[in-house]
Amino acid sequence: MTLRRNRHPPRPIAWLLLGLGLLHPSHPARSAMAQGAKPAVHVFLQLDAKSSVVEKTLQQHLPQLGIVVFGRFRDFEEGLTTGRPDAVLSIRAVLEQRGKAPSLQGNRGGQSAEPYVLASVNQPLEGSLAGKTIGVVDLLGRDGTQTFLNGLLKATDVKIKRVAKIEDLLPLLEFSAADGIVLPRSMLSRLLERTRLVIKTKELPGGPVGLPAVAVLNPAVRDVIVRCFQELDAPSKRLLGIDSWSVQ
Amino acid sequence: MTAPRTPHWRLAAFSTTLLVFLAGCATTGYESVSPTPMPDLPPIVDPPARSGAPTLLIAMPNSPNFVEVRKSLVSEVRKNFNIYTLAVGPESTPADLAAAIEVVNPVCVVLMNNATMKLYRQYQTAHPTAPMPPAVLLMASFVEEVQARLRRATGIAYEVPGVTAFVHLRSVTSAPINRVGVIYRPPFRKFVEHQKSLAAKEHVELIGVSVPNDVTAAGLRGALHDLANGSKVDAIWMLNDNGLVRDAKFVDDAWRTELSDARLPLIVGVSNLVEPSSPLGTLAVVPDHEALGLQAANLIFDLADNDWKVENHPVELPLSVKTVVDVNLVRASFGLRPDALSHIDKALE
Repeated sequence: MTLRRNRHPPRPIAWLLLGLGLLHPSHPARSAMAQGAKPAVHVFLQLDAKSSVVEKTLQQHLPQLGIVVFGRFRDFEEGLTTGRPDAVLSIRAVLEQRGKAPSLQGNRGGQSAEPYVLASVNQPLEGSLAGKTIGVVDLLGRDGTQTFLNGLLKATDVKIKRVAKIEDLLPLLEFSAADGIVLPRSMLSRLLERTRLVIKTKELPGGPVGLPAVAVLNPAVRDVIVRCFQELDAPSKRLLGIDSWSVQ
Repeated sequence: MTAPRTPHWRLAAFSTTLLVFLAGCATTGYESVSPTPMPDLPPIVDPPARSGAPTLLIAMPNSPNFVEVRKSLVSEVRKNFNIYTLAVGPESTPADLAAAIEVVNPVCVVLMNNATMKLYRQYQTAHPTAPMPPAVLLMASFVEEVQARLRRATGIAYEVPGVTAFVHLRSVTSAPINRVGVIYRPPFRKFVEHQKSLAAKEHVELIGVSVPNDVTAAGLRGALHDLANGSKVDAIWMLNDNGLVRDAKFVDDAWRTELSDARLPLIVGVSNLVEPSSPLGTLAVVPDHEALGLQAANLIFDLADNDWKVENHPVELPLSVKTVVDVNLVRASFGLRPDALSHIDKALE
C-alpha cells in the first residue's frame, strides 16, 4: 500500500549524513544463536543509566550469558518475538503482563517492591485527577501502560503521555505538557539533581511495584541463569536498583 | 584548546561544515528545506491493510531519519490504523498528494519535512472549500510557522529546545551553567525569545545577541567576544542556522578562533561538530527520532480521542534527544561530573 517514486540521488549525501551520526539504526533484535551457545537474556528496565551502559556492564559481569538490553518497549517486544530469549529481566509488572513467573526476584533493603510517586511542579497534585495529563515511561505499550497507570493512581480518567525514556519525563514538566509525572521513588533523586523546578511529590496509592525480576523461559538453562545472576557483583546489582536476589 | 592546523584537520573541518549545511537542509536549517533522498534505500512497505480500520496517510521522503520516525510511529499505531505511505521526492507534485488523499480518504495525514508541507499547502490552496483531513507536521523547520499557513494542522517542533540542551550540559559538567549566550539572525528572533522563557524555568538566563542576516566572520566573532567577555556567559549555544556556519573558513575565523580564547562550552545541534581531534563543540544535542515517532503516535491518539479537533492542539515541543559529548574537552576544561558517562548516548574521547 505504498506509493514510491524512483529516484537516483547522489551517493555523497548518504555518506555525509552517515557521517553526521544521525543514521543510527534502532537496536537490532538479536537471537540466542547470535550470542553463540550462551543462554540469551533480554533486559528491559528503566534505570538511571543509558541502556548501552547497562548492557556493557552486564555483559562484562555475566560472561556466561548473552545479554541484550532494550531501552524501549517496542524493541523489547519485537525482541521477544524474533530473538526467542531464554530469560527476561524486567520489573514484575512487565513479566506478569506476558504471563511469565519470576524465577529470581530482586530485592532492595529487604523489600521486593518499591513505591511510585506522582511528581508535579510547585505543588502536589491533590484531589481528583480527572482530566489531568500524566506522563509515564512506556513500559507496557499503550493499553498496558494506561492500565498500569490507572492502577497506580486508582483513577480511570487520566490522560496518559507515554515517553520512551525516564529522562524524557522532565521535559513534560518543563514544557507544561503534563500536569504530573509518575516514576519510581528511587528515581526521584536523579530527577531532583537534574532540575531546578520546584518538584512536589505524593506517593501513589496503587503501589508498590515489584522490583526487577528474572523470568526463565527455557527450563533447560534455568540453573545456569539463576546461578549467574545470584553471583552478580554488588555494583552491578546496584545499577539494576537491587541489592540481593531471592529464588522464587 | 586550539587544534593543530594540519591537512587532516582542514579536511575534517570542511567535511564537518558541509555536514552542518546538509543537516540544516535536511532538518532544522532556516533556508528552504528540501527532501534529502538517500541512495539504495529499500521501498517503504506498509503493514497489510485491514478492512474497516481508518487510514493514516504518511507523506515523507524515503530517507533514513524519516524512515526511523515512521518505523517507530507505525509500530505504535498499526493496531488502530491502516497505514498508507507516500514517498515524496523532488519531482513530487501537489497532484500526487491529492491523488493519494483521494484514493485513501485518510482520517489524518502525517507530513514530514518542509517540502512535503509545501505540497500540502498547495493542495489546500487548490481546494479552498474542500474539507481537509487533519494534518500532523513532523521533522520540519519552524513547524509553528508552517502550521499557521495550513488549515487543520498541528505537529511537533523539530528544533531541540535550548533548555533541554542546558539541562544536559549541567548533567555532564561540574561547571556552573547559569548564563548561556546565543547568537541569532533576525529570522530566529521569535524562536530565541521563546527559548528565553523556557530556559528561565530551569534558572538559566539566555542572553541573545542579534546579528545581521549577512553577518561576517569578524562580526560573528565580535558578537561571541561580547558574550564571553562582556556578558560573562557560562556557555554558548550554537543554533542550527546555515547562515552562522557557512564553510570551513567561516567556522575557523569566527567560532573556533573566538572559542579557543574564551574557553567556554559550546552546545551544538549536530553531532559532527563534536570531534575530539579538532575540538569545537562540547556537547551535541540532537533529536531522538525513534522517540519522536512515539511522541507523534501519542499526538495522533490524542487527536483521535478528541474527534480530530486539531485546532485545540498547539504544536508540541520534542521531548527526547540524544547526546554526544567530547569527554576529553569536558574533563580537561570544564570538569566532568562523576556519573556523566552513564547518561551520555555517545561519549567521544
